[in-house]
Amino acid sequence: MSLLEMRQIRKSFNGVPVLKGVQLTLEKGEVHALLGENGAGKSTLMNILTGVIPRDGGTIEFDGQKLDHITITQSENMGIAFVHQELNLFNDLKVFENMFLNKEYVNRFRRLDKKKMRAECRELFERLGVEIDPDAVVADLKTSQKQLLEICKALHLNAKLIILDEPTTSLNNEEVDHLFGILRKLKEEGTSFVFISHKMPEIFALADRYTVFRNGEYIGEGKISETTPEEVTVMMVGESYSNAEVYEKRELGEEVLRLEDFSGDGFHHIDLGVRQGEIVGMTGLQGSGSSEMLQAVFGSSRSTGGSVKAFGKVVPRNSIHAAMKAGIGMLPNNRKENSVLPDMSLMDNMAISEQTLSAARLPVEGRRDRQRYDQYREMLNIKAQSSADLVTSLSGGNQQKIFIARWLNTDARILILDNPTQGIDVGAKAEIYRLILELSRAGKTILINTLEIPELMKVADRCIVFYDGSMIKELAHDEINEQDVMLYSVGITKDAKGA
Amino acid sequence: MKKFGKIWSEYSFIFVLIVIFVVYAITSSGLTWSGVMNIFRHSAVIGIVALGMGLICLTGEIDLSVGSMLALTAGFAVMVFNVTGSIALTLLFCLAFGGVCGCINGLLVGGVEMPAFIVTLATMLIYRSFSQYFCQHVDRKLIGGGSSVYKMDTAKDAYQALFGFGNGKIATIPTVGIVLIAMTVLFVYVSGWTKYGKKIYAIGSNFKAARMGGVNVSLMKISAFTICGILTGLGAFLWIAMNGSSDPATTGNSYEMYAIASVVLGGISMSGGRGKMLGVLFGAMSYTIVDKIIVALKMDSLINNAIKGIILILVILVQVAGPKLRSRFHRG
Repeated sequence: MSLLEMRQIRKSFNGVPVLKGVQLTLEKGEVHALLGENGAGKSTLMNILTGVIPRDGGTIEFDGQKLDHITITQSENMGIAFVHQELNLFNDLKVFENMFLNKEYVNRFRRLDKKKMRAECRELFERLGVEIDPDAVVADLKTSQKQLLEICKALHLNAKLIILDEPTTSLNNEEVDHLFGILRKLKEEGTSFVFISHKMPEIFALADRYTVFRNGEYIGEGKISETTPEEVTVMMVGESYSNAEVYEKRELGEEVLRLEDFSGDGFHHIDLGVRQGEIVGMTGLQGSGSSEMLQAVFGSSRSTGGSVKAFGKVVPRNSIHAAMKAGIGMLPNNRKENSVLPDMSLMDNMAISEQTLSAARLPVEGRRDRQRYDQYREMLNIKAQSSADLVTSLSGGNQQKIFIARWLNTDARILILDNPTQGIDVGAKAEIYRLILELSRAGKTILINTLEIPELMKVADRCIVFYDGSMIKELAHDEINEQDVMLYSVGITKDAKGA
Repeated sequence: MKKFGKIWSEYSFIFVLIVIFVVYAITSSGLTWSGVMNIFRHSAVIGIVALGMGLICLTGEIDLSVGSMLALTAGFAVMVFNVTGSIALTLLFCLAFGGVCGCINGLLVGGVEMPAFIVTLATMLIYRSFSQYFCQHVDRKLIGGGSSVYKMDTAKDAYQALFGFGNGKIATIPTVGIVLIAMTVLFVYVSGWTKYGKKIYAIGSNFKAARMGGVNVSLMKISAFTICGILTGLGAFLWIAMNGSSDPATTGNSYEMYAIASVVLGGISMSGGRGKMLGVLFGAMSYTIVDKIIVALKMDSLINNAIKGIILILVILVQVAGPKLRSRFHRG
């Protein structure tokens, strides 16, 4: 008998159906990948299962029990735990306090029994091979440790089913491996997982079976061992998806960006030249300096020495405005935090950077902005109703296109893209790659920083691997492959391996 | 119906004003033109101060010092007038001095990145204390011979002209009311139709994204506080023109709170990025009418603040609870 059976689940929001009779079956002790683009209905289904929102119809059976009206507490007591993408931890409390929040042990005098809580915490961590100090303050933990702590919290409740919503977005590859090791161990002990992720390699490394949704409909399910990433992707996005190689070699122009002995917080002594129309990929584990270096080129992170020259002219350091005037634009990582102006319209979101450059002409140039907006909407294929809509009404991919338009609108000729496809679904990702290539053909010079190597294999002319604040290796387009990049980014060079 | 809902949520301040005005029309025995025009007169100072507050709130900050700043600027402006006898110099001093007071707040908040609540709480104490201290410790002649009030020298030639400006009317509309409306028009334009305004909204909406988009957040905050100071200076000028004197202990007392209340009543979000400057005018006028109602009903003026507070809670209650009720209704 299955651990979980959800049948014919239906749900509408304000009359718009988001789940049109979907199903999900889960066996005991399996990792089940729940796949689909953003908006396919994965999160809604999980929210129904955990009692966050009520369903309109359908049946749910968990552990042999029929569930009619689920409340959050009930689902928790039944052994269902939801590890959200945004971590629900209290940063100012200690690890064990988080662990036992609202379930504290007390002694006879209603005083907290910290000793017992600490001990139990330590025991659980040891069992799982998690290295976290129960007395550490959560704010001091690394993101990966926080993620593990969330999972430990779920296990501590004796969860039989743990839902993981994109648990690896902020982890580096080493940390992902560690996490997966722990998950496999738990799986053998009989815990089941629903694994929501956009990263195909991870899904194929970890999951046993999969279920695919598209636009709120159940598309299919099967064993991971009997399918391929391409097949699954086609199921997710429908017929429109093509995985054709889009990269082609181009004539590169003059050198337009030159870094000389460039140093700053987290990176040092970088020498690099980039030619017009070139797409340079940068990669490295978190903290390796690639992201920091690019931010310093844009002036948003501190640089301490060396120089940046764009189009032959020295760019004053540590000033975003100076970098913008020199023709540099940057799409920062973490869209929600660093790009989205949630209260403002699509047009205002697009125009804001250009408006800081042309601030001397005080009035808003509405007619011109509208023309430009229409032009970019068409060029970037932005799916939006009205330019007056809030930017938050768009999907992640379309939002990201608005922010690319923000920089095209400033006539930036060097574009720095820091993790441009973060949290974007597969179809939109492919579109962003195509866009990047198109822009480079139109003469834009592009620097991309990403942890996803397949992404670089699709677009980059060359790939620079960062390790410990320096460029450790440069790979030409044909040489880029995941294994080598991984080796270099953990500091193992080929020569050292041979010796 | 849906359209009405949108208008209601964006322009609720108009409905609030209409409701309060209707109550006023009923309670006051016989609505007169000059009575209505008086609303503009009595809204002038608080309205202009609230416009500056609105600009600051749009960036997501707050300025608690405006009331004290008003008292300090008004007091010093009286002395400037008594020495120079010049209206132009007095006005110039008000704007410049207010600007400097605001700039100090701005430098600490935008430049040093201290919390605005703390900084302006401190300058609120400082400015008020200065205005009271100097009143006691300057030459009596400077403050018009009074002991605890800055009094303008009525013997100066320009005095009548200034007092006439403060209490005069142009085509039956109070001059100071015209100044208020002109300032409102100016700031509605600045906030909605200039790049400066867009940047103000951007900072309040998400200051990190604004910074990454190239907006100089520090400079913008300094400028917003400075502009608020200049507007407060203008308010101080109107105050002395209307009253001919300024009591350092009571002038502008609690004005920071009335200004914030006007801003909130006008629909500007205290977390920044949302709302319209036009609402500030309506918010300030709504409160002035409440004063009038209380006078018309011959109630004890001490009940004044209680009623203002209740109105604020009611309006925000409707704004916050309304959407919740509506969604529950839809779900049910």
